[in-house]
Amino acid sequence: MPLDTSTYHLALLRLDGRRWNELRRLHAQISTQASADGSSYLEMGNTKVICTIAGPAEVRGAARREGAERDNAVVTVEIGIAGFSGVDRRRGGGGGGKGRGDKRTTEMQNTIASAFQSTLFTHLYPHSTITISLHILSQDGSLLAACLNAATLALIDAGVPMSDYIVACTSGLTPPKSGTESADPLLDLNGMEEQELPWLTVGTLGAGERVSVLVLESRVQVGRLEGMLAVGVDGCKQVREILDGVVRRQGKRVLESVIS
Amino acid sequence: MPREAEPSINDRAFLLQALQENIRLDGRALDAYRHLDISFGDDYGVADVRLGKTRILTRISASITAPRPDRKFDGIFTITTELSPLASPAFESGRQSDLETHLSRILETSLRRSQALSTESLCLVAGQKVWALRADIHVLDYDGGLIDACCLSTLTALRHYRIPDTSVKGGDLTVYTSLERDPVPLALLHHPVCVTLNFFESGEKWLVDATLMEQQCSEGEIVVAANPQGEVCLVQKGGGGEVDALVLLRCVEVAMGKVRELGKAMDGALAKDAKRRDKGGMSRELRAENER
Repeated sequence: MPLDTSTYHLALLRLDGRRWNELRRLHAQISTQASADGSSYLEMGNTKVICTIAGPAEVRGAARREGAERDNAVVTVEIGIAGFSGVDRRRGGGGGGKGRGDKRTTEMQNTIASAFQSTLFTHLYPHSTITISLHILSQDGSLLAACLNAATLALIDAGVPMSDYIVACTSGLTPPKSGTESADPLLDLNGMEEQELPWLTVGTLGAGERVSVLVLESRVQVGRLEGMLAVGVDGCKQVREILDGVVRRQGKRVLESVIS
Repeated sequence: MPREAEPSINDRAFLLQALQENIRLDGRALDAYRHLDISFGDDYGVADVRLGKTRILTRISASITAPRPDRKFDGIFTITTELSPLASPAFESGRQSDLETHLSRILETSLRRSQALSTESLCLVAGQKVWALRADIHVLDYDGGLIDACCLSTLTALRHYRIPDTSVKGGDLTVYTSLERDPVPLALLHHPVCVTLNFFESGEKWLVDATLMEQQCSEGEIVVAANPQGEVCLVQKGGGGEVDALVLLRCVEVAMGKVRELGKAMDGALAKDAKRRDKGGMSRELRAENER
């Protein structure tokens, strides 16, 4: 059900009380699952994702026969969307089973796999696979961004060498103010905003402005794209700071436990 | 699963070195499309698009069914893609590959989600009867540029298609044959076209309309779907090598120019075909003599 966001222009406050350039609360933990090679738990507002990494491990089963014997490790991604994660409960949506899930999920898997395939130093692990499993516990917008961030943290926890962090966030556009043509960009959309505003997901590599992932699926004037992209890239820098803090805190904790 | 044969190391090095000197193997400019040829079948709604060696045939067909219970006023529009071994030995029939998922998802987003075809106009009797429109895309030959050619072919076929005229009188639906009443064109709200750009040299150089080999040597690609009015309907850069944000914006700008170019080519082909079908024009209708 579309929701009325035309009130934005009255106080310049969004539905959840944020300003245009504010991120939602970003909370992340590293090494949450003891049995996995690497794991992380990430919350972007009410979007909650657990990520576990298996590997780098030897190629097994069917993948071996399919000609995976090359000089690089192969990154595969599995996404399981919990039935209780959305507003309406979906039966058999995702579930983590093979070949299940819709095209949107498959596309997300491909995007994440291809983003990390070129960022990880896969040439260090010939004849192996790195499996990223993402479990989506709760969805409230910025799903692809949350998955990318969680996967970055988990891969760092697993100790897979990579050139830099892939961090992602979303940016959108307010509805045009009545009477004028101006529309302001917004940072980090929640689920309700995503349903009715044009928005894009942008993922950058490192602290610069190198864009690795860019997905826009709504209609928008071409002139507005620049503003949205600029806000998104700026948001990625903020996200990177937060994720970097999480990794450093975890590193400190590990060092302290070794010394004592 | 068969895999695409990768270009040899020598071929790859040759291509990349030529690119450093801004030369493409087929002599095109970096931002030029291959030769585009759009032709139509005898029936309405059959479009055959050739882009260099890539060839796509799309056929539109319509039937009458009951609408989905949650969308009583909307007709049904489905796009199916078929990547058969006919086009390339790397394609396998009866199994959905990543390429096919990618392709159908991009077509869905650019044509269906952007509301290019108004599905409400396909409604006949609310809650009971709607048109189910189907676009079958057949890839006959594959040499890169799959997404661009498929999108162009589907849109051209949709614009070419004429749906049978109908009337509703007292709850009774009458569908007229083409002899009784001329079929009517579909209600297309805008005309989105896809343009793919491939990146080389760590995102510093980009090519429009890469051939299969250029595609295999590239570091990543970006797909932009837009309409000639300057609205972007889809931008997708799913992973691959990373590119500077400013270069991306420049790419979108270049893609907009190409969208207008492709739109013009499509308009030209449609106008030519309309002229061919309309033999004699208005004067034939007005003529008193018959063909005895």
